[in-house]
Amino acid sequence: MSTHLLARIRIGMLIFFAILVQTTLGSDLRVTHVAPDLMVLLAICAGMEGGTEAGAWVGFWCGLTADMFLTATPVGLSALTYCLIGAATGALRAGFLQERRALIPVVAVLGTAVSVLLFVTIGDVLGQSQLLAAGRSWLIRVVVVESAWAAVLSIPVSIIYQWAARGSAGTERLGTTRGSVIGERLPAK
Amino acid sequence: MAVYRRSNRTRYVLAVLVLAALTLVTIDARSNGSGVLSDIRTKVSDVFSPLQRATHSTLQPIGNFLTGALDYGSLRSENQRLRNEVASLQQQSVESAAEQAAAQQVLAEQHLPFVGSIPTVTAAIIDNGSSNFETSVTIDKGTSSGVAAGQPVVDANGLVGSVLSAGSHTAVVVLLTDPTFAVGVQLPGSNIGTAEGIGMVDPMRVTVDSTSLAPPKVKVGQDLVTSGLNFEKFPPDIPVGRVTAASASPGQSEPDISLAPLVNLQQLSFVQVLMWAPES
Repeated sequence: MSTHLLARIRIGMLIFFAILVQTTLGSDLRVTHVAPDLMVLLAICAGMEGGTEAGAWVGFWCGLTADMFLTATPVGLSALTYCLIGAATGALRAGFLQERRALIPVVAVLGTAVSVLLFVTIGDVLGQSQLLAAGRSWLIRVVVVESAWAAVLSIPVSIIYQWAARGSAGTERLGTTRGSVIGERLPAK
Repeated sequence: MAVYRRSNRTRYVLAVLVLAALTLVTIDARSNGSGVLSDIRTKVSDVFSPLQRATHSTLQPIGNFLTGALDYGSLRSENQRLRNEVASLQQQSVESAAEQAAAQQVLAEQHLPFVGSIPTVTAAIIDNGSSNFETSVTIDKGTSSGVAAGQPVVDANGLVGSVLSAGSHTAVVVLLTDPTFAVGVQLPGSNIGTAEGIGMVDPMRVTVDSTSLAPPKVKVGQDLVTSGLNFEKFPPDIPVGRVTAASASPGQSEPDISLAPLVNLQQLSFVQVLMWAPES
């Protein structure tokens, strides 16, 4: 079995484990009624470790898995949001962010905040007006608390993701070359 | 020196994933909760439920510890309140042990007094809802136990919500604070109102429906129960919430009423699903 395939299997198992924890322990971690979102954090870590493509793929599957356990929003809304967040994080990482562990919480905070806003905005555009029914103060609270949770959980989640993704195409690509925002910067021949 | 090469593959992958997600959203939104994707959701929930149940019971001590750690202030006050309550109960028990025994017997026989003769199914919460934009929980009973969409769900304190969808071994219960939830309530003076959820942290909002009668005089602290009118989704007399505010704005005959649910939605463990349908 190739190392790439093994890495994919490990990442798949990590997503499975993450949704299990999210749906069982996530609600116990509510601070002022707001729960953390492990799935978007995984997408952000994938982008940071594997670049645009890995971020997009992992984000898509994380979102789709999360969608299976939601009831009020259509299937695909989280997949779309997390895919974009994962890809954007990966593009930033490949473009100009350096590989520093201290950067991960910062990126996790920003990425999570943007993901909440993006989820609500795309949802509203697609007719899911109930997402805004609880009011602006609730939205701000979700952004702040979820981002704070992302800062706390980002380092352990990134370490676990790094372990799962070792040997994957994305980590190899980022480990050897640095890419542009949506492409890759290759050494001159 | 480095040269740049646009990665068509990355763009292609991203475009395909975005289109796939948009397609799924469109299909699911158009099917209005009754299509293939909803069936898949229900099936996934069913398949996943034993694992969720096992994980939930395994992680419960960690969850309780974390909940306690994150909610230390309110736990202290809750502890104090319970100490006072225990002291008060001990005093009462000394004074009227015989009366209490009789009352407990009656309570045990009647179980939930507001349920009456409606058959119930006891269910455990296996997923308290981890999303921040929907207020629902998943229970460990489904169609195989007689649970069906639309059935009311209660606990010892009153109305919890109603079954939104049911798989064979699990069901999703939408809580009464959800913005899509509405229930008819009895108001003073034979008035009828509708209590609607407006989010996880805010109290419910009650609008007065019957305008031909004199405006209801609602007092803060009063408990409101379901109206149980024809075509109403809930049987009558189930406690819904306690009035936290009732005031009429200038020039307005009907009061703005806020209602706090009687049920502690943050600490649901077991609920009763009422085997009840409007036509019965």
